[in-house]
Amino acid sequence: MGEVLLQGFGQAAAPSSLLATAIGSVLGIVVGMIPGMTISTGIIIVLPLTFVLDPSVSIALLLGLYVGGMLGGSFAAIMLNIPGTPSAAATAIDGHPMVARGEAGRALGVAVLASFIGGLFSALCLFLIAPRLADIALGFRAPDLFSLVLLGLTVICSFAAKSWIKGLLSALIGLAIVSIGQDPVMGTARFTFGSADLLSGINFLTALIGLFAIPQLIDNLGRAGPDAHMSVAPTSFGRLIPTWADIRRIRVPVAIGSVVGTFLGILPGAGGPIAAFLSYDYARKASKEPETFGHGAVEGVAAPESANNAVTGGALVPMMTLGIPGDPVTAILVGALLIHGLAPGPLLFIERPDFAYGVIFSFFWANIFNLIIALAGLRMLVKLIAMPKTILMPAIAILCVVGAYSLRNSVFDIYVMLFFGLLGLGMRWLEMPVVPLLLALVLGRQLEENLRVALTGSQGDISVFFTSPFSVLFLSLAAVSVVWSIVSSRRSAKGAR
Amino acid sequence: MARRNIIAGCVLLICSLAYGFLTIQLPDRGLPNTPGPAFFPWLIAGGLTLLSATLLVKGLRGVHGPGQAAPSPVSSRGWLALGVFAVYLLLLPTLGFVTASIPFFAVLTLLYGQQNRLLVVLTAVAVPVLLFVVFRYGFQMLLPRGVWL
Repeated sequence: MGEVLLQGFGQAAAPSSLLATAIGSVLGIVVGMIPGMTISTGIIIVLPLTFVLDPSVSIALLLGLYVGGMLGGSFAAIMLNIPGTPSAAATAIDGHPMVARGEAGRALGVAVLASFIGGLFSALCLFLIAPRLADIALGFRAPDLFSLVLLGLTVICSFAAKSWIKGLLSALIGLAIVSIGQDPVMGTARFTFGSADLLSGINFLTALIGLFAIPQLIDNLGRAGPDAHMSVAPTSFGRLIPTWADIRRIRVPVAIGSVVGTFLGILPGAGGPIAAFLSYDYARKASKEPETFGHGAVEGVAAPESANNAVTGGALVPMMTLGIPGDPVTAILVGALLIHGLAPGPLLFIERPDFAYGVIFSFFWANIFNLIIALAGLRMLVKLIAMPKTILMPAIAILCVVGAYSLRNSVFDIYVMLFFGLLGLGMRWLEMPVVPLLLALVLGRQLEENLRVALTGSQGDISVFFTSPFSVLFLSLAAVSVVWSIVSSRRSAKGAR
Repeated sequence: MARRNIIAGCVLLICSLAYGFLTIQLPDRGLPNTPGPAFFPWLIAGGLTLLSATLLVKGLRGVHGPGQAAPSPVSSRGWLALGVFAVYLLLLPTLGFVTASIPFFAVLTLLYGQQNRLLVVLTAVAVPVLLFVVFRYGFQMLLPRGVWL
């Protein structure tokens, strides 16, 4: 165990990994800061690089970007009152009034510190929980795995969609797409229409680039114009390092945010925005001066900031141990690992424990670099908010093409990307969430394979899913999530009338 | 919102029926009492048909979803950009990455509202060339070089 930990630490602390983490962190902060850019877009930009880099370096780069992106989103929220990422929306409530009061440095400094503590707490939870959860997951058989994947999908549908029908439809569309190509058990060609390109199926990274990047490029075009670049004039930040008085004030909100963020991060689909708003609400209720919230309370910055960064470590727990990504970013991480022949899941901790622990240590480093880079380079980084989109967006469009093409050196994949871009736009118009579709693309083959293996083993007897306690638990939770989604959807509809 | 549900219901119902039709034609190679290659697609086709029909019925009954309908996600400039993008992708294998990307980048930069023509030209040449050099020679990635190279 000690030797494995040392190997993992060595992998994460190798100069190339450290450099990649630092570069990822800088890129993440920049991408997160620019309104209209998401962490997913940032990851899509560097995706082609990860195909050629060593897996440990690739994952270090992506983790740096993931963690940095969360923090960068808050800088834009604080400075411009425009959240760079959805998770940073709660930070703007109190962060921007602090800027208006001339306390930009204080708000940013508290955000950086709270993010660091939230991220570090979730990294510690990841380190402690992941290996144990992987041990338990090793005992799962095909019926348990099927029920678990089904649970992951239904939970995501419940969280991601306003309408349960549209959430489930989105997931089913994803499953239909994943059924294209050779079937995972017998290798029979399905829905390929004789095309060799379709035989290996649709690569979900290609789909992801189309689903996320193209609608975003079109979105930004709608807002384009000669003044498309934002102007921010932070003439004076003041003190960046939080004072002891501030540290004392944010102790409880940061603790709340860290726990809530990590817990919600572990749940597939819950994500940063829910964690940030929930922590904000809890922190306000726990405060002795709740009336200051919304008017530039430093606790109102600390709670959501620690929460949205704690989500990152939490989201890595199901991804690393069960192979179930909880959001688009962890889905990309799964894809990046699969390209290198490393399948996230309990077996990763058995077959490549050095790599699994290396990922966890890289996540620790990502949080440390985030703190250093944000505090040291914040004055310069904030100026990047004004980067002109007129150049940035076309460059991203070309990088999307490079990313899709370089997966298999295939022009066909570029057309697939465009198809998914149009599908993403269509789904947006129909108010259908794309996240369940994406997650179905990631998990679909696993779902089918385990379903068929379980039924083959039981000679078609479906009671096999109700004999294992794990399977029963997962199926019950899946049913609860669907019922909860239906009830909340009806309540929202009644409320809207 | 109800109109969009009707459109979505109709489109998805047609797609799910087409998917079901294609599923019928899949070879049945399963062992007795075990699911074959068509088993999972049948489940998907059934679920898609049921849910899209439900969505259609909700739309026809005028049941509104929560909140206001989202505005159209594509502006007229967006449609133009999508058209340019499609043409770019069609020409990419023939013209090659650099040659096709230069005009594409320039048009997109103008669509995004850049008014400095010199900057448009400079970046339209510099960015694709830089990306080609970095990926081709730095990372040994084979980007399309065009039919004449």
